[in-house]
Amino acid sequence: MTPLSFALVFVALFAFVVGQLVLKKAMEASNAVGFGARKFLLPFAAGILFMTVSFFLILGLLQRYDLSYIYPFQGLSVIIISVTAVVVLREKLTPPLIIGAALISAGIALVSIS
Amino acid sequence: MPNKPTGLANPWLQLGLSVVFVTASELLLKRGANETANLAGSWGWTGLSALASPAVWLAIILVILSFITWLHVLRYLPLSVAFPISQVVHILIPICSWLFLGEVISHLRWGGIALVSLGLAIVAKPVARLEERL
Repeated sequence: MTPLSFALVFVALFAFVVGQLVLKKAMEASNAVGFGARKFLLPFAAGILFMTVSFFLILGLLQRYDLSYIYPFQGLSVIIISVTAVVVLREKLTPPLIIGAALISAGIALVSIS
Repeated sequence: MPNKPTGLANPWLQLGLSVVFVTASELLLKRGANETANLAGSWGWTGLSALASPAVWLAIILVILSFITWLHVLRYLPLSVAFPISQVVHILIPICSWLFLGEVISHLRWGGIALVSLGLAIVAKPVARLEERL
């Protein structure tokens, strides 16, 4: 795997996480201001954009590498999303949530490489 | 955060539906891809030839439905809870591939499925307690 492809794996992962966070922000805003307001529409559009970028980056990587090589990295998304949800969205992370997220990530990686 | 809606709009029910839609769509995509594998021409690498299969179109509808239900979930549940739980698809998809598509699951893969299940059980336990208190 070239350094560029390796970097692209993480760019795709980063775009996926940012997409989820921004969509979460958008849906929370929709509770307060409805679906017509800019406060909803801007993060919603950004979320769709980030998810689309991530989707096509992964599709491009899959054309060059095996699914079993690319997919374990997706397991990381559970841990990264849990951590960023705390930092960015100020959600509370309890010890069971941390342990559970770590086990799920490890399990996904194991399913992928087997 | 507003009060959680009940009935069909209950976010936990919607999370369950989202997971079922994702699982069903993946199985249908695989079936559609198998059906159209021999159609692959010079544009085969794009996967576009799979659009000839009705199963793929049904899968696309299910993907859209899963996205809509997921957005509904995001309105009401914390991402740090909903996202790990949504990973139950990593258990359901291999098991359904085994049941419905006759795929073989290695011991190592069963081990991975067990780890994901354990992680989910640990995540879900405090959530159940939280819901009881509400």
